[in-house]
Amino acid sequence: MAFNYDQYLRLEKMPTLWCWGCGDGVILKAVIRAIETCGWKQDDVCVVSGIGCSGRFSSYVDFNTVHTTHGRTVAFATGIKLVNPDKHVICVAGDGDALAIGGNHTIHGCRRNIDIKFIMINNFIYGLTNSQTSPTTPQGMWTVSQKSGNIDPTFNACDLAIAAGASFVARETMLDPKKLEKVLVKGFQHRGFAFFDVLSNCHINLGRKNKMASAMENLEWIDSITTPLKKWEALPEEEKKNKFPTGILKHDEEAKEYCDMYKEVQAFHQGKRKAITQDDFAKKI
Amino acid sequence: MSIMKAPENTPVWVDEARCKACDICVSVCPAGVLAMRLEPTSTLGAMIEIIEPQACIGCNDCELNCPDFAIYVADKSEFKFAKLSEQSKERAEAIKNNKYMKLTA
Repeated sequence: MAFNYDQYLRLEKMPTLWCWGCGDGVILKAVIRAIETCGWKQDDVCVVSGIGCSGRFSSYVDFNTVHTTHGRTVAFATGIKLVNPDKHVICVAGDGDALAIGGNHTIHGCRRNIDIKFIMINNFIYGLTNSQTSPTTPQGMWTVSQKSGNIDPTFNACDLAIAAGASFVARETMLDPKKLEKVLVKGFQHRGFAFFDVLSNCHINLGRKNKMASAMENLEWIDSITTPLKKWEALPEEEKKNKFPTGILKHDEEAKEYCDMYKEVQAFHQGKRKAITQDDFAKKI
Repeated sequence: MSIMKAPENTPVWVDEARCKACDICVSVCPAGVLAMRLEPTSTLGAMIEIIEPQACIGCNDCELNCPDFAIYVADKSEFKFAKLSEQSKERAEAIKNNKYMKLTA
């Protein structure tokens, strides 16, 4: 028996609308396998996605799904999680969704450390709308909106998530689905905000004018800009700037989760405890 | 619904209705089991074909890397997989150099 993906899919939507060789499909598979490994029931999982190629993620999976407005995945997911603290909420967003229009929501999701699994599919371009510069587009690359070459500095999403206070931050690529699955499982089992920056390919819209028009050329380029965390730490300072470290970059099991703290607020309104004071938090600060 | 159980004596099988001919499975196969054939009815003019089933080592890389849920690999209990031989490695290399197309004799 091969792994039965079909039980997690909406078969009437198959085949997917993504381009041939798109990394989104590989990531979708890894997420399905990770959910199976965690042993979560389909009815206990909610997948929230925004707008973009990654937004189609929620259409293909047979969980509870919400296809929300552009960039508001974390806002919707926060509401869903607070009402159903025992369910598992997975957000899927693209780089434009998570860092440009929805950057504000991403930061505050990280800061609250609410138990949401946030998967950012980072393909370095606005793929759905045909190659405009996104926050993660590397400098010097051709895009439709910057035909002379992109001059905007590249956004490092994991650094943002760490600084904003997410308790689990990892970066992976879709080149190694087994490793991606392992990291996803660790993040899914972590209680708190889990931020995954998954590097993916867009050979159609990023690659067509940047000399990587086939999926394999694009994947080779992703391989050339990433390196495992341990090797990255050993690199000299100047080379560190050119490479993205992959692996688990932050894993803080001590951080307080937002739903747990919200239970105290509920207890106060039910007359079960006194108001929360600064002393309750004094030890942490 | 795709076939989940291995058809008799088959290590790897493909749902051709889902395959988009992106070449990724051919590029990751270490044993030269897979290659593309010309297929005029397909969008990209090619379709995946299993050319050397007996060379399959059961590494599952093609299944894991397929973005379209199109390719499946049998369990170790369903098929006796081969070991990676020099001949398989050379064939895999030759197929990659042939733009992932099937080698013509």
